[in-house]
Amino acid sequence: MHIPDGILPVSVALGGYAAAGGMTWFSLKRIKSIFKNPRELIPRASLLTAVFFVASLIHIPVPPTSVHLILSGLLGIILGWFAFPAILVGLFFQAVMFQHGGLTTMGINACLIGIPALLAGALFRSRRYFGKDNKVTNGLLAFLGSFMALGLGALVAALLLIYTIPAQLDVSAERAAIITLAGAHLPVALLEGGFTALVVLFLLRVKPELLEAEEK
Amino acid sequence: MITPVPTTAAQSSLLSRWEVRHKLVALLALIFSFSMIRELWLLPLIILVTVVIYSLSQLSFAYYWTRLRLPGFFLLMLALILPFGAGSTVLARIGPLALKLEGSLAVLLIAGKFLCIFALVLVLFAGTPLQKMVGALRCLGLPALLAEMLVFTNRYIYQLLTDLCQTQVAAGLRGFKGRSVRSLKPLAYIVGTLLVRSHNQSERVFQAMTLRGYGEESLVLKAGPVRTGDRLALAVALLLAAGFVFLQFFYFRAS
Repeated sequence: MHIPDGILPVSVALGGYAAAGGMTWFSLKRIKSIFKNPRELIPRASLLTAVFFVASLIHIPVPPTSVHLILSGLLGIILGWFAFPAILVGLFFQAVMFQHGGLTTMGINACLIGIPALLAGALFRSRRYFGKDNKVTNGLLAFLGSFMALGLGALVAALLLIYTIPAQLDVSAERAAIITLAGAHLPVALLEGGFTALVVLFLLRVKPELLEAEEK
Repeated sequence: MITPVPTTAAQSSLLSRWEVRHKLVALLALIFSFSMIRELWLLPLIILVTVVIYSLSQLSFAYYWTRLRLPGFFLLMLALILPFGAGSTVLARIGPLALKLEGSLAVLLIAGKFLCIFALVLVLFAGTPLQKMVGALRCLGLPALLAEMLVFTNRYIYQLLTDLCQTQVAAGLRGFKGRSVRSLKPLAYIVGTLLVRSHNQSERVFQAMTLRGYGEESLVLKAGPVRTGDRLALAVALLLAAGFVFLQFFYFRAS
């Protein structure tokens, strides 16, 4: 789901930076309006960002292979509006440490992962309408949010790649490419949803305040 | 898991002495100008510029190759799909598949740009300590909150990697094998435990930092002194970047 350098036209890459800049500005504005002293939360947000970065290196066995998770949905659920800056930070470190993703595409990648993460967080916080202490509701919303976050990001990334590659694909190849790319991400999205639900249910038992940062 | 940058070679190079803000702006300008290229004829030029810059950085080819493995997988996928799925002019037939001219040229262009940009990204980050890089980004307008998050996250990533390894070893000693999808639950609990421990640690870190004066003023990250050579190198890089943009958008369109 990380689009590397050199593939997208520069107009799309710059558009991605503009959108990511706008989203960062809006996220920081929301953070400042919700929290009295946002700087108090920087150590917490940074440590949790580091956890997500490290957790995304864990390989989940799916015989005969293994996959690594993105955890964007879980990030949105726990960090709320801090999720977008956290994803930018994570993408920066991935580019520095593994050259994963890209510099020209960092903006578009941040939008592909960050916007669905914020949506997943918003979906999870709707639990206050369905019963905040209900285990099934919490697990289901965490699953749906995380599944949607990865699925939506992968779908938009696939469409972007297919419609911006500098050679015209024929219609059948285009359709096959979209189905293949979306299909390849479906099991990962299901795994990611299940994993997020399990982590959320664990946190509800052990440290529920971690899930309530923006609910006070 | 995380291979370190070969700092001894990279930090003694000419490029490592380049002031970080100037290096950042110059290499980013070149990277974006490379990504604008759509004419195959410009590929040899950007490759030449890349080879010169990479040689000046004193990074080895082995380092380039090692780093290429993970992002190169995406490129390999494109190289396998595009020549057969894009375009209409058939070059050759391999069984039921038709190798097409337009798709092959698209792969050549994408691969050329990708490999050049990849080399410049390596040069940009190798030999530049993160603290200096964040300082340069802050001077160039990065919001204070993001700059502080970058510094703090960097501080804890390596500690958390050690924590994760220890937790996985402990789980392994208790019989956890992690070879099937059923291991999802214990792995989720490991991540949950890391989250809880980090949350508790962040509270202690914040209290300790407050005692040392954190919160009174924004994190100060100063940029280094600027020499004439830094400005000159920046001017050359900007001229090259402008040259590529001119050739792409004016020369080739006019001719």
